[in-house]
Amino acid sequence: MKKLRVLIIDDERNARAEVRTLIADYSELEIIGEAQNADEAKEQIEQKNPDLLFLDIQMPEKSGFELLESLNKVPYVIFTTAYDQYAVKAFEVSALDYLVKPIREERFAKAMENLKQRITLPAEDRIFVKDRQQYHFVTWSEVHLVESMDNYARLFYGDKNVFLKTSLNQLEQKLDASMFFRINRAQIVNLKYIDKIMPAPDGRLKLLLKTGDTLEVSDRQSVKLKKLVKT
Amino acid sequence: MYWEYHGYMFSPRFDWLQAALQFIGDVTILILLTHAYRTFALKHNFQNLALGQLLQRIIPAALILGITYTLATTIKLHLFQVWFYRIPVQPFTDFFKANAETIFIGGMRLMSIWLLAYHMYHYAQREIRVNRENARLAIITREAQLNNLSAQLNPHFLFNSLNNIKALVSNNPKAARRAIDLLSDLLRNSLYNGEQTLVPLKDELNLVNDYLELEKLRFEERLQYEINADDTLASFQIPRLSIQLLVENAIKHGIAQRKNGGLITVKVEQLATVIKITVQNPGELIAGGNGLGLKNLQERLDLEYKGQAEFAINGQMHDIVLATITIPSA
Repeated sequence: MKKLRVLIIDDERNARAEVRTLIADYSELEIIGEAQNADEAKEQIEQKNPDLLFLDIQMPEKSGFELLESLNKVPYVIFTTAYDQYAVKAFEVSALDYLVKPIREERFAKAMENLKQRITLPAEDRIFVKDRQQYHFVTWSEVHLVESMDNYARLFYGDKNVFLKTSLNQLEQKLDASMFFRINRAQIVNLKYIDKIMPAPDGRLKLLLKTGDTLEVSDRQSVKLKKLVKT
Repeated sequence: MYWEYHGYMFSPRFDWLQAALQFIGDVTILILLTHAYRTFALKHNFQNLALGQLLQRIIPAALILGITYTLATTIKLHLFQVWFYRIPVQPFTDFFKANAETIFIGGMRLMSIWLLAYHMYHYAQREIRVNRENARLAIITREAQLNNLSAQLNPHFLFNSLNNIKALVSNNPKAARRAIDLLSDLLRNSLYNGEQTLVPLKDELNLVNDYLELEKLRFEERLQYEINADDTLASFQIPRLSIQLLVENAIKHGIAQRKNGGLITVKVEQLATVIKITVQNPGELIAGGNGLGLKNLQERLDLEYKGQAEFAINGQMHDIVLATITIPSA
């Protein structure tokens, strides 16, 4: 199995050493670097593209959360924290793991077990969004619809939705064109979630999503979509 | 008033105007005299004297007030005679000789009663105030101890310290042993729940030194510190946990918030009439962000030193925070 490439982020050297000691027992993890603050970490993440972060929450100047929010593509994350009940409450807990320092070996083993079950390589593209005091990991392949709302884009995934502060045009640039398609001025749809494409009497197309939503495609985009479907 | 009533009832030549003026004259003399005494007493801090010392001052005061009252009243009566009767009355010296004794005895009685009432009132007031202040001081000192305890048991401090020690156990056993000693003493001191509100400066600085040494093991090169105190001040009494609080804040809001950390300087110096304690750290002062700890410190200083001590925290040049406590040295 391909090794998971790990970056350890903590402002205290000894705290990083502790994580190193714990990881030493797991041959499937490979430490590719350490960072002692969010800026250093961002640089290394963009350069080395690690699969997994061990990330301290309380760091000088920028917190672990702020680091994740600043990334376009978020690796798997295991939070390490001395104690931060409010932050812990703010998580959508199922989406991640967090370890309280000092970290017990059996707790670390459990985290590794969870990781093996959840992880898929190559990692799927995810982002980290703070919305209404809640933090969410959003995996793009699970987003079926993006809608423009003023200065925000509203991402629909599963039965949830979050607001991301970006314009739809900016977002369209970033998204994988083989997965997402802009159907009109205000909506982008995930092609994987299209159940049926139906022609409307006026020549435009109508989409039925697997989620049951019906969407209308604009004139111009109908032409593009027809081409796309043919190929 | 009684004399006016008497005059009205029994004197055929009763004059309302004269009676009113006499009355106003008497009241004015009494008010002026008592007010002069009050000013004098306040200036010489009579209200804070012990009972024995106070008596030593009240008796001569009564005498002086009595004599002054006699002089003023005789002069007043004499002038009234001159103005209202327009007759060549007896010369003032004769008038004085004839009436001084009666007026003096009356004056002494009035003044003594007033002095006793005045001082008893203030004595009672002071007792109440002192008791209230002492009770409040005891409460907020206890609060400061609790704050300190919760700071030491603060999860960020405690668990990061423990995690640090865990790493040191294998990397640097000697430092690990030292860290356990330091942490133990800090916790022991936090769990102390005695009545002491003041401690000698050297005890407070030992505590601060332990705390900084332990944090230095955690923050390593990010934390630099200096403690400068005049040896002659070692036994000077300061509020317990006051410098400790400022140093904790310097770490929490200063060092821990900065990637490159910085220098914490603790300085205790004797100025002309005060002891000045300063704690300086890198960081930016958050306006209006004074927490419970600092409010508590301010109140303890106010009560302990009756407003003679000062506390201030200032941001300088956007990246230095300076906290200053000034305590009267005598």
